[in-house]
Amino acid sequence: MSEEKPLPVGFESLARFSDWCLPTTQQRWMKRCESPMEELQEFYYVMLKEADRILDYLDDFNLHDLPEPEENLFLMMLSLSNVSMAVELHGMPRAPYSPWPHGIKLLEGVAPYGS
Amino acid sequence: MSQAENTAAVEELYSGYTDQFGLDKGPVPVEPYISEAYFELEREKIFMRSWLRIGRVEQLPEPGSFFVKELEIAKASIIITRGKSGDIKAFHNVCSHRGNKVALESSGKKGRFVCRYHNWTYSNEGDLLNVPDEKSFFDFDKKQCGLTKVSCDTWNGFIFINLQREPEVTLQEFLGEFGELFGDMPTPNADNCVVIETRLKANWKILSDAFAESYHITAIHPKTIGSTFSSDKNPYSHPISAHSWGPHKQICTYGNPEYKPSPKEIVETLAYKGADMGNVLAAAQSDAVTDFTAHPAVNPTKSKEWAVDIVWTFPNVHIDLSPGGFWTHEFWPVSVKETYWQSRFYVPPAKTIRERFQQEHYVSRLLEIFVEDLTNCERTHNGVESGAKDVLYLQDGEVGIRHHLAMVAKWIEADTVKDALS
Repeated sequence: MSEEKPLPVGFESLARFSDWCLPTTQQRWMKRCESPMEELQEFYYVMLKEADRILDYLDDFNLHDLPEPEENLFLMMLSLSNVSMAVELHGMPRAPYSPWPHGIKLLEGVAPYGS
Repeated sequence: MSQAENTAAVEELYSGYTDQFGLDKGPVPVEPYISEAYFELEREKIFMRSWLRIGRVEQLPEPGSFFVKELEIAKASIIITRGKSGDIKAFHNVCSHRGNKVALESSGKKGRFVCRYHNWTYSNEGDLLNVPDEKSFFDFDKKQCGLTKVSCDTWNGFIFINLQREPEVTLQEFLGEFGELFGDMPTPNADNCVVIETRLKANWKILSDAFAESYHITAIHPKTIGSTFSSDKNPYSHPISAHSWGPHKQICTYGNPEYKPSPKEIVETLAYKGADMGNVLAAAQSDAVTDFTAHPAVNPTKSKEWAVDIVWTFPNVHIDLSPGGFWTHEFWPVSVKETYWQSRFYVPPAKTIRERFQQEHYVSRLLEIFVEDLTNCERTHNGVESGAKDVLYLQDGEVGIRHHLAMVAKWIEADTVKDALS
């Protein structure tokens, strides 16, 4: 695992998921597709428990001007969105019956943290 | 009413589209999907004669803005620019000197295009401005050596080009009644979009077919969107209405008015908390697009069971309309077995943390849906070209595919574009 990223006070225990602080949707998507299901489930269940508290906390911040710890925490939340596809929909890291790798690419995402 | 009777009643209610379109009901040949000769005819008779939708005006926000569209089927690279006066123009991306490209970027803002080969310089209105060592050319007239113009026009913010030197019909004539009906349709959030692309080893019609019917949804997308597009009342997702105008058409698909995320879909529930999205999962809240959904051409029957209108502008673009806004698909043929696909989803800029979180969920699901749809296309092409089958079977809800095949055949047979549109 890469270095732990700073997180806001009260959320430090999530720092072990710093690998999920990825700046673009395409990167979060690729990491999810290439991660083993056990890791996805662990991340999903830990994050899900905190999700309401995280959103309530981040509500007070400007989306377009997040300090670094809040930005890291929000990037984890964005990863949770993506990881939920594997856990809630597919029951596996990628869509069933689809080849891997495939060449489908998000060229431009939603701002900020899209592309 | 029993389940069986109920289903039978709906099947009767949402049916009859193939008759309505005046089309044959027999199987369709596989040849148009796999024949090199047929592909060459499509190139010559359709893509080199038809108006082609290549973008939107918002891609050119100010004078000097440009983008480049590579049209591999025409072996052409086209620059679309907004000049000083605000006019939108299109040119071949070809230097008049020895044919190199003058724009190497895919988009940007420039007052001048400079060919990197010998620094010939053009204005963004296509005029040749400067030729180094001009005196050494012979009887040379710069005015004759501007960029080659390509016919270009706009309709409701969509930019079209035509590769005929003198187009046989105007864009207005090409769009006809369809153009009038949709010409003032609002296009919400047209300045902000998500862009997704891929190249696939499949015929362009296999891709456009894949996004033209809702019969496949419960099979291919059981988890991602199956329950938004079907219900006990309409289990096979029959369209709720269908319409055609010359080569263009609109297929209005069914949305389950009772849809709710399953209890398992916790993050989805969290992301969409407090949001009114209509029947489908969308990136925009419904009240932001009220004028759009109120337009007479959008959900034309004003049904509460509406999910998406698939609006197929001939030959290769879908403009899809839903309670949350609109998106497009472009299917650009490269060869008989290769297609470049690009989709643009127009969404409101996120203002808050929660909006951005919801949009991430929306985009994540879109990507899953596209993986399901697109990777399916290569399997389909391989099967079609295997020689195992001479024909394919289309059901009533697949009327858009049947209509498109008929229009492609009509354009190929027609001596003139006017005949093709007759």
